[in-house]
Amino acid sequence: MSSEKLLNVQNLRVLFNTRHGQTVAVENLSFSLAAGEVLGIVGESGSGKSVACYALLGLIPMPPGKIESGRALFHGKDLLQMPEAELRHVRGHKIAMIFQDPMTCLNPYMRIADQLIEVLLQHKNISKKDAREKSIAALIEVGIHDAEKRIDEYPHQFSGGMRQRVMIAMALLAEPELLIADEPTTALDVTVQAQILALIKSLQKNRNLAVIFITHDLGVAAQMADHMLVMEKGKLVEQGASEGIFKNPTQEYTKKLLSAVLTTAKPVASAAKLDEPPLLDVKHLQVGYASQAGTFFNRITRFARGVDDVSIKIQRGEIVGLVGESGSGKSTLGRSIIRLVDAQAGEVTFNGKDLLHLAADNLKAARRDVQMIFQDPYASLNPRMTVFDTLAEPLLVHGIATKATVLDQVNELMDDVGLDRRFIRKYPHEFSGGQRQRIAIARAIALKPKLIIADEPVSALDVTIRAQILALLLELTQKHNLTMLFISHDMSVVRYLCDRVVVMQKGKLVEEGETEQLFSAPQQEYTRQLLAAIPKL
Amino acid sequence: MSNISTENSLQKFEKGTSLTRDAIARLFKNKMAMAGLFVLLFMVAISLFTPWIAPYSYEEQNLDLGASAPSAAHWLGTDTLGRDQLTRIMYGSRISLMVGFIATAVALTIGVLWGAIAGYLGGRVDAVMMRIVDALYALPFTIFIILLTVIFGSSMLLLFLAIGAVEWLTMARIVRGQVISIKRQEFVEAAVSMGLSPWRIISRHLIPNVLGPVIVYTTLTIPSVILLESFLSFLGLGIQPPASSWGSLISGGVETMEEYPWLLIFPGLVLTVTLFSLNFLGDGLRDALDPRASKD
Repeated sequence: MSSEKLLNVQNLRVLFNTRHGQTVAVENLSFSLAAGEVLGIVGESGSGKSVACYALLGLIPMPPGKIESGRALFHGKDLLQMPEAELRHVRGHKIAMIFQDPMTCLNPYMRIADQLIEVLLQHKNISKKDAREKSIAALIEVGIHDAEKRIDEYPHQFSGGMRQRVMIAMALLAEPELLIADEPTTALDVTVQAQILALIKSLQKNRNLAVIFITHDLGVAAQMADHMLVMEKGKLVEQGASEGIFKNPTQEYTKKLLSAVLTTAKPVASAAKLDEPPLLDVKHLQVGYASQAGTFFNRITRFARGVDDVSIKIQRGEIVGLVGESGSGKSTLGRSIIRLVDAQAGEVTFNGKDLLHLAADNLKAARRDVQMIFQDPYASLNPRMTVFDTLAEPLLVHGIATKATVLDQVNELMDDVGLDRRFIRKYPHEFSGGQRQRIAIARAIALKPKLIIADEPVSALDVTIRAQILALLLELTQKHNLTMLFISHDMSVVRYLCDRVVVMQKGKLVEEGETEQLFSAPQQEYTRQLLAAIPKL
Repeated sequence: MSNISTENSLQKFEKGTSLTRDAIARLFKNKMAMAGLFVLLFMVAISLFTPWIAPYSYEEQNLDLGASAPSAAHWLGTDTLGRDQLTRIMYGSRISLMVGFIATAVALTIGVLWGAIAGYLGGRVDAVMMRIVDALYALPFTIFIILLTVIFGSSMLLLFLAIGAVEWLTMARIVRGQVISIKRQEFVEAAVSMGLSPWRIISRHLIPNVLGPVIVYTTLTIPSVILLESFLSFLGLGIQPPASSWGSLISGGVETMEEYPWLLIFPGLVLTVTLFSLNFLGDGLRDALDPRASKD
């Protein structure tokens, strides 16, 4: 029927055999793609969007995986029936992939030149010299300056965005007809993300490439794709032209995904008490990372600046957003306030006390008043402690609860963060990411702290879960009169939650202001870049 | 809402830490581990009651008999001096099991604490502590033992001391490495920011998370300690004939292996069975202590 189609997938069904029985990862998925077309596959983690594409290329481990039925016609030939040798030729030669994490996809012990040349020698019958020339041309095409020189460097000498450019160059070396991009910008900073998206778009136009763009980010999909598939739990929920889906979503799930993309301002008024002295007053803070050299007795310590002369005030009841890209020093700033990282100079006055020069006894008391929520809910909970133990520990250590009352108090915390009381005996691995983050939040509010430092608490979560957790945070700040320093790289999240925003770049404070004011009239170029990088629907 | 049923199911877990209790429950479900535990307990029981149940006295010789193959009177045969092999293995188990368990326990305690403290505190403390470990590693073991014997004479206490002094070194290194890799995880930072004391962080958050490799290494240490004892006894530290241990029986058996194979086979077999039981129990413990491994 569709002979002009480049790829035609029909009724693809992929299973995984697990200890708990069979799970259907992809259920009867059908889609097609013409040459030069961009297809976006959108879904949350576990929706089967990646598995479907990996299955096409024979890249899922079998067993436990199993392609139960379906056809995938590429130029009229079924990829799923192809012998391994022929499929290997298709991979890389006709269909290329780029992955999410540019840090792990390049071999750290090989020069970029060798890695690129290897690909060419594998697929094309050319000399080493020609291969090198071609590789340099490819690097220039993906916008790497000074490619002649840089090609002889090692991956660690490139930044994340640059590495992703190298990966794209590598994928395009063999001149494929179809490029599968699996969350290629998720691990990158927002401004870098915008550049990489623009690069993929222009390469796609110039080479008339077909692209399958897998993403969890509707904004990114909107920007990139002509057509879209929305997947949920292995099933296709909705498909059609991108514009149509964004303007008139017909399915409930698509609507939910769209509504989870935050485009609104903070729904409640600021609770900041402006007439009081600030709760937290950071003055001229300097934090460096020490790297040590020399012998044991004659150690030379060098400092790399993490935070450079930053001053911030937070009023009681205020939610302040701290925005910046990775390496801007925003996390370091948050950590140095509660002395997880030591500051070299400056003052941190919290509730009238000088936090940086507290003795050990007073530090314990002060830490009770400042709590932290971390980014990765998988790493921030002790895997060998039950939820009860995790939540009871701070209460018991600080003498807030006794053995007799601790159960009731833990139960109240569970109610507060919307978790079922019956889960209290379970271990962290038995929860989903969103539920774990709720546990981490419960732990942070257990001590009734005066200030919460939240370090990217929603960036590891799916969009719909992210919206729920943000709503929870907002609700809790009102209920318990919390003050919060909210660290994030995501401007839309900050806009939804924060009263005031502070922007950091390379360790320095760039701009600060009331949220809506800063969004409508940014003063600094860098802030404008950050705002422009928010994908628009 | 569902308060009543919830309250009831929660009554149980107020005693003891949940992990220990859960781990015991899970261990009891593991058949191989329970078999291993049963065999070990059986061995310990035998060693405790040896003086009353042994068929002969451990010093009773029968030079006329000499080395004889297993028979009705001597189930596991006799050695070159005509001593009953079964009796010697039974008495040997008293020494060997005691050395195995006590010396390993000493090594385990010192090694885990030393490694965890060095790894967690880091910096200069870590450097000093680990250089001490390196220095002890570098000490020639044989000379160290001979020195000890010369100064203090031969005693069981010294035997534990000597074995403990070498075996904890590797344990400390393993634990330190593990601790360094997990101490940067956010749950440890969360514990710090909650104001927990370093000791509580080490004991509640770090050590439970390094138990896997520690248990595996422990089950390997016990048999090697049992064999090490025979080497020390050979140097004059530890036990002297006619008292026996599995290690000394095995090394004696090796010398006469070609003429009287049963003198090697039976003590070797007993040690092998012990080793297997320990490994099964160790694997069971490791899985039981890891909440992620045992839910299926």
